[in-house]
Amino acid sequence: MNDLAAAVAAPLASVDGRTKIKVRDVHFYYNGFHALKGVSMDIPEKQVTAIIGPSGCGKSTLLRIFNRIYAIYPKLEAKGSIELDGENILDPGYSMNRLRSKVGMVFQKPVPFPMTIFENVAYGIRHHEKLSKSDMESRVEQALRSSALWDEVKDKLKQNALGLSGGQQQRLCIARAIALKPEVLLLDEPTSALDPIATSRIEQLVEELKSEFTIVIVTHNMQQAARVSDYTAFMYIGELIEFGNTEKIFTKPDKKQTEDYITGRFG
Amino acid sequence: MQVTSAVPLARDIDRRARADARHDRIFHRVLKFCALLVLATLLGAALSTLWGGREVLFGHGLHFLTSDSWNPVEDDYGALAPIFGTLVTSLIALVIAVPISFGVAIFLTEIAPTWMRGPVSAAIELLAGIPSIIYGMWGLFVFVPFMANIEPALSDTLGNLPLIGKLFQGPPLGLGLLTAGIVLAVMILPFISSVMREVFQTVPTRLKESSYALGSTTWEVLWDIVLPYTRSAVIGGIFLGLGRALGETMAVTFVLGNSYNITASLLMPGTSISSSIANEFNEAVGVHRSALIALGFLLFVVTFVVLLIARLMLHQLAKREGK
Repeated sequence: MNDLAAAVAAPLASVDGRTKIKVRDVHFYYNGFHALKGVSMDIPEKQVTAIIGPSGCGKSTLLRIFNRIYAIYPKLEAKGSIELDGENILDPGYSMNRLRSKVGMVFQKPVPFPMTIFENVAYGIRHHEKLSKSDMESRVEQALRSSALWDEVKDKLKQNALGLSGGQQQRLCIARAIALKPEVLLLDEPTSALDPIATSRIEQLVEELKSEFTIVIVTHNMQQAARVSDYTAFMYIGELIEFGNTEKIFTKPDKKQTEDYITGRFG
Repeated sequence: MQVTSAVPLARDIDRRARADARHDRIFHRVLKFCALLVLATLLGAALSTLWGGREVLFGHGLHFLTSDSWNPVEDDYGALAPIFGTLVTSLIALVIAVPISFGVAIFLTEIAPTWMRGPVSAAIELLAGIPSIIYGMWGLFVFVPFMANIEPALSDTLGNLPLIGKLFQGPPLGLGLLTAGIVLAVMILPFISSVMREVFQTVPTRLKESSYALGSTTWEVLWDIVLPYTRSAVIGGIFLGLGRALGETMAVTFVLGNSYNITASLLMPGTSISSSIANEFNEAVGVHRSALIALGFLLFVVTFVVLLIARLMLHQLAKREGK
């Protein structure tokens, strides 16, 4: 009886502080393939939530619903509800522009736009706001400082962004995302293409950014999840198996599957 | 046992290495020969047209390059009218074909449902396979009468606009620079759009998604991200089309009207370098013949200058982006 109650309640394990994103019974279909099977979780505000799980478990799929980036492709469909500050973003009436300015995203590989470093950051801002030249300059500087890149690029803002190293490019992508002043930052395996030093700089950055943003990070690297996150969700074949405090997930998880995964018995 | 077999083995390896190096050297020489052959052909063709046209090119100073008269009776030749016709018809073709190709390529790579992409791409490639004589015939028998019907309307509307009005005033002959330009546009469209389509497909998905994730519209993603990313290839494709338009002979000869006039109106007949040559080569002897060969040489020069401008443009654009 108690077990049953625990099983039902487990995915919704209570979190401290305010809930930023409330995911309820989310299903996702790729061209008819059922990729997410009823995921529910509460993502806390201004905390780092990691989503882990083996390849194909649906962790990236879930992340890509949070800013509806999947909607640029035909035949992809999400059902259920995802409330951002109490409003359902899956509602077709929810403005895409508003959603994308509130929820920023950084992808697996650093992909700077084919323009100068300055323009890379200014580009997204221009879509949403009309700023004077000096306002834009300070906004870009602020974003680059927040992403710990300013000191390295301040003398070459007019150079092409492709000249930066991989780690710098990824921090530029983070700057580009936070320049819009979003509330949520989605990181989709942000360090999978980076070397260990660049990786640790990004992790350090995530730590600094969580005072301002709600961060959701998908990672295949369990050590990384353990290092950077406050909460961890473990997914397996389209289902959320367990969600809770990171320390608890990694030391005494409730589920056998979670334990098997984090101890490296499968995945 | 092992020692004795190891010695010939080492010698074998050595011999093998020397043979490999020799084969590679031969291979490199063959490749170099192929490349030089192209250069030699180009140079040979340019020099022989220069030699064949020396009489008019160097006989009267710059007269050939600065005069617009073309009088076989008095052997007075000037290349301005054919050069003008060549450049204007090609420019019209580009102005029409580039935006349409852009639209076609974007539609096929980004917007069209998957089942449509194959057939439409195949149709475009078929368009490229139609011989130019067919375009010429179609142009003369079908398109010229059509243009003759709509040209009065063009004169009445666009012809009244300030600045560009002069371009659209004139008798509704059907034949002329505009008609030739449009036929050329149809001919170069498949080249430009298939190059564009191919390079648009090479843009990484994540790059486009990154832009969408910042809130960009489809248009912004294409214009700000896809186009700059593929820019040099796109410009390459446009100049491939332009190269074809500059040299196109048969189709243009049919619909251009063969008149050595330089007019402001696009509705008036004109001539182009290649169509002048095609029209007159049969009956040309002496100086007349030399003038036609000199025109051929000028086509080399025009094409070269156009390609040079393209290079410079690319260089400027790259500088602006901080490369």
